[in-house]
Amino acid sequence: MNAPERTAAFMLDEDNGEQKIKYAPSTKVPNAGTFTFNKEDHTVGNLLRMQLLLDSNVHFAGYMMPHPLINSLTMTVQTSATHIAPLDVVKNALDDLQSETVSLGESFERGLREWHEKEGERGMRSREL
Amino acid sequence: MPNQRFPKCKIVSSSQSSLSFELYDTDVSMANTLRRCMIAEVPTMAIDLVEFENNTSCLQDEYIAHRLGMIPCKVINADFKGGDCAEEFVPHFECTACEDFCDKCAVEFTLDVDYDVENGKRADDEKGTPVVVTSADLQSKSDKVMIASFVDNEERESSQDQGISIVKLTSGQAIKLKATARMGISKEHAKWCPVGVATYRFIPEVFLNQEQLAKLSLDQKKQLVDCCPDRILTLDDATGKIELAEGYEDRATFTEDLKYIQSAMKFHPEDEDFVRVTQSTNRFIFTVESTGSMHPEEIVKSALKRLQLKLSNLTEVITRLDA
Repeated sequence: MNAPERTAAFMLDEDNGEQKIKYAPSTKVPNAGTFTFNKEDHTVGNLLRMQLLLDSNVHFAGYMMPHPLINSLTMTVQTSATHIAPLDVVKNALDDLQSETVSLGESFERGLREWHEKEGERGMRSREL
Repeated sequence: MPNQRFPKCKIVSSSQSSLSFELYDTDVSMANTLRRCMIAEVPTMAIDLVEFENNTSCLQDEYIAHRLGMIPCKVINADFKGGDCAEEFVPHFECTACEDFCDKCAVEFTLDVDYDVENGKRADDEKGTPVVVTSADLQSKSDKVMIASFVDNEERESSQDQGISIVKLTSGQAIKLKATARMGISKEHAKWCPVGVATYRFIPEVFLNQEQLAKLSLDQKKQLVDCCPDRILTLDDATGKIELAEGYEDRATFTEDLKYIQSAMKFHPEDEDFVRVTQSTNRFIFTVESTGSMHPEEIVKSALKRLQLKLSNLTEVITRLDA
């Protein structure tokens, strides 16, 4: 009846003018701004927040899901200096996370190869016995 | 890229139905994201649209359609493992080749069971008992996708059933339908979830303060070793030295028992702990169990791929935003 559309949780409704990311610089706090990530949740939110906090240029980073039925998250970032924009630190963090994911994928594949080689050897040996 | 980490993976065990691996050199946010991606972001195939031609069974159409949706479908890759369906199909919403459904975004199954026909084929001692319609009766129209009635051959051999039960038929009843499976993620409906279990736990770190332990009597040491329900400590009777038991990492459950008994043993309350059990902040053990729709190794690979796509999409959008 009044249930939200199931696909609304992950599909961006571009026909109705939805944008993936919105950015609004703060009018009260210096070097700060709020990002609104549409169709994202804790999966990306917490990962990005923790990565931002590793950056020494980041003074503050926090995120929240406004409501369980609203499929967007807001993230507030404050940098430590005027010449560093919140957009730049978020971009750096995303870059870092992307290469971390790639490196994790490679290391997982390597781990699988090693494990299967070892298992293969063990299988051969038990057959010989 | 100043703050990039290089996580490492070590496989503990892997089989057709479950996978266990160790993840280290990263923090809990990455571990949790990986877990959430495996549960909610990995695409699989599941029956989504059912057209009934005839249903005189005891269950309503809607009930049967729901049951069909829950049956795991497997995409067959080169080594018959149950691969990533994103390599073979496109999401139905993004399919540009068709109006409705086509080979690129959907797979059709048919089910046609008539009690009287089935009963005629059966051996004399079974005649007259109800016919169980199972997932094995679903005929796939594509050679790329099959129904994963069982996780592996071992389960198939030990099971008394032909597949996953859908409905029971008795005299005069029949069922005939056409079911369409499409690609989806479990954010839309849990039937697209490839995992039954996807969890991680923190590897325990146990510190023994041998200097403090030396001050205890043999009786007290025995008490200390015996009080821990996880049996993470052993006592060498000859030397009276407490050591970590073999395989303690798999057993430690972070109970408080050791904490209480050692605070009673201390000579001064401010003394250091004899044994300290803490959770590691950068080492995790993952357990992934598949529903049968994908091989667990493929689930992890697909989850990482999804995450990377998500992040690269965000990077792209934010770069555009900046310009």
